[in-house]
Amino acid sequence: MRDRQIKEHTIIALLQNEAGTLNRLVSLFRRRGFSLASLNAGDCEQPGYSRCTMVVTADDRELRQILQQLDKLIDVVEVEDLPRARSIQRELALIRVDVASGQRSEVLEIVGVLGGKVVHLTQRSITVEFTDEPHKIEQLIHMLEPYGIGEIVRTGLVAMKADTPSAAN
Amino acid sequence: MTRSGSQIVMEALVRHGVDTIFGYPGGVVLPLYDEMLHWPTVRHVLVRHEQCAAHMADGYARATGKVGVCLATSGPGATNLVTGIATAMMDSIPMVAITGQVATAVIGKDAFQETDIQGITIPITKHNYLVTDVADLPWVLEEAFFLANTGRKGPVLVDIPKDVFIAETSADASQASPRRGYRLPGPPSEEQVREAARLIAEAERPVIISGAGVLHGEAWEELAELARRADIPVANSLLGLGTFPRDDELSLGMLGMHGEAAATMAVQNADLVLGIGIRFDDRLTGKTSGFAPKAKIVHFDIDPAEVGKTVTPVSFVIGDVKQSLAALLPLVQPKRHDAWRAQVREWQRRYPLVVPEDGRLLARHVIRALNEHTQGQAIVSTDVGQHQMWAAQFYRFREPRQWLSSGGLGTMGYGMPAAVGAKFARPDREVWAIVGDGGFQMTLQELQTIRDHDVDVKICLINNGYLGMVRQWQELFYDNRYSHVAMGNPNYAKLADAYGIAFVQCTNRDQVDETLERARSIRGPVLAEFVVEMEENVYPMVGPGASNDAVIMDPDLESGSPLEARR
Ligand SMILES: Cc1ncc(C[n+]2csc(CCOP(=O)(O)OP(=O)(O)O)c2C)c(N)n1
Ligand SMILES: [Mg+2]
Repeated sequence: MRDRQIKEHTIIALLQNEAGTLNRLVSLFRRRGFSLASLNAGDCEQPGYSRCTMVVTADDRELRQILQQLDKLIDVVEVEDLPRARSIQRELALIRVDVASGQRSEVLEIVGVLGGKVVHLTQRSITVEFTDEPHKIEQLIHMLEPYGIGEIVRTGLVAMKADTPSAAN
Repeated sequence: MTRSGSQIVMEALVRHGVDTIFGYPGGVVLPLYDEMLHWPTVRHVLVRHEQCAAHMADGYARATGKVGVCLATSGPGATNLVTGIATAMMDSIPMVAITGQVATAVIGKDAFQETDIQGITIPITKHNYLVTDVADLPWVLEEAFFLANTGRKGPVLVDIPKDVFIAETSADASQASPRRGYRLPGPPSEEQVREAARLIAEAERPVIISGAGVLHGEAWEELAELARRADIPVANSLLGLGTFPRDDELSLGMLGMHGEAAATMAVQNADLVLGIGIRFDDRLTGKTSGFAPKAKIVHFDIDPAEVGKTVTPVSFVIGDVKQSLAALLPLVQPKRHDAWRAQVREWQRRYPLVVPEDGRLLARHVIRALNEHTQGQAIVSTDVGQHQMWAAQFYRFREPRQWLSSGGLGTMGYGMPAAVGAKFARPDREVWAIVGDGGFQMTLQELQTIRDHDVDVKICLINNGYLGMVRQWQELFYDNRYSHVAMGNPNYAKLADAYGIAFVQCTNRDQVDETLERARSIRGPVLAEFVVEMEENVYPMVGPGASNDAVIMDPDLESGSPLEARR
């Protein structure tokens, strides 16, 4: 049955590095009106290739189109929709909390409990590095909001297919 | 042994059997133009505008199935190619476009005549390259030809900086890293083919829609075998004309916005539609929710991304259409659909294309007569507009590669240069460009190219004094408010004379035959102007955004609307 519901999907692609590869990829999303929430690309285990994680919102029909149109690009080697349950998903966030001096310990406690790391301190602020699944980042931000958030920088999602215990390759 | 970039380009052309290229020189391609003098087997045709170099390469490709090659300098030369490349992209035409680029040292510095043609053409090429190291040039060119003419075909652009033409290398094409991201389609899935065969066996009212994929895949024989064995009428998309002989009793002619009523009604009433090498374009389907409402749709295509893009098939066969049909045929039992065929014949009888004889000279008279005079055997190109639709309706194509028309992009000005490209490719064939007075004025500078090479193309100019198709829409959908569609025309007799091209003119109904006879009897290029009725309309017509059920019949047809007949 066709699922017409619009959902967020994580797509990973293996790209052959060439001049214009990322341009081509982004151009495809723009010209076909697909929504691209985030895009991350970097070196991978194969020299000359990159792995790229994209977060898109689409219904099933559109998702199929996105995958097939991407696959048609000559420099896209493989492309796959990663179900959340079978993947490892991570995002990194830097969060600067401009915290009043009386509340510093509360902030440090929240960051500690959720597993964040303090990477910079001034008399006026605490800057936290936090890597986790996006919803956990949302949670930390939510918890820190009352103390006064100065700036947030997020990388966008990177994802990897989870290895299966019996995996032969 | 080392070779220069320019030598590598010329070698690649020769290796790929390119006998003719269409181009225009400029600063950064000077090294290549200099090298060209030493390669007499590659004929260079100097155009008068780069857009036409691309259209000529396109016409050459459509008429032969071979890769067409065009060449332009950087900056304005390259951007002038854009319309022609986009035209080829929309219709999956194999083309290699070579552009010069400013020297690598100044790329990105807004140098004289620098433009980012790679960036500009990303959305309108199958793939493109900027070659910054001459050692990459051999494999890039090899790959460009390969990509252009395999899989789903399309234009590939190679942008080469001036210093790369000059630089020397001993590298050859073997330096390519493997292309893991480009796989040719494998054999069709047996299961999908069996399912298609089962649906065909079950069907009582089947219709085939055959499109340009059948041309590109050279699958016309398999298509005809399928249609005849299973007794299935064949409609064509605009670009599928010629994939099935129009005079065959199973042929329904064109389907779509101006398709023949019987073809439209057959599809709207069919219980099975086999879409073969088509992409269910909106001008074919009308409103998709109203398309073939009673039918199961089976889609055969080489490109998986086309399946389910606009309409949702119940089943599909992905792969090279020739292979898919070849796999299907042994599973298809001979069958008759006498009642269905009789019904379709009845629609054809009741809703024929109409050509009134009321003394006025109509474009339809001209194109119908052209079909008769040339016995449906000429290579015919068109511009875009009313004359294009009449050509699609009244010219009865017999074979593949006879029909050159910009279907996807709808590019006015395509017709004449495409005919020139086709004539270079197939000098043995009679070639006619049917052009509108609007479209012709967009590219008529190529008359000089025709003159220079004495290209024996006949130009059938349908002069209605209007941007006719736009006028028709304003008449029908904007309550007769004509806005900027009436158009002056030059004195075409003088124009032809200025270019040294023979001219014949026809201004009334009785002169059509003799005008065509004269044009055909003249050796060499002829401009044949037909001054036709100004406000003639193309029918049948499905209004923009309407369902194919809502076809507007020709008011000159007395037998009423087809909706009635469907009940
Ligand atoms: C380059 C370009 N510009 C605009 C259009 C829009 N258009 C489609 S048909 C048409 C009228 C064409 O007029 P003409 O060439 O005289 O042909 P006719 O319809 O009169 O046969 C126009 C302007 C187009 N298809 N291509
Ligand atoms: Mg006109």
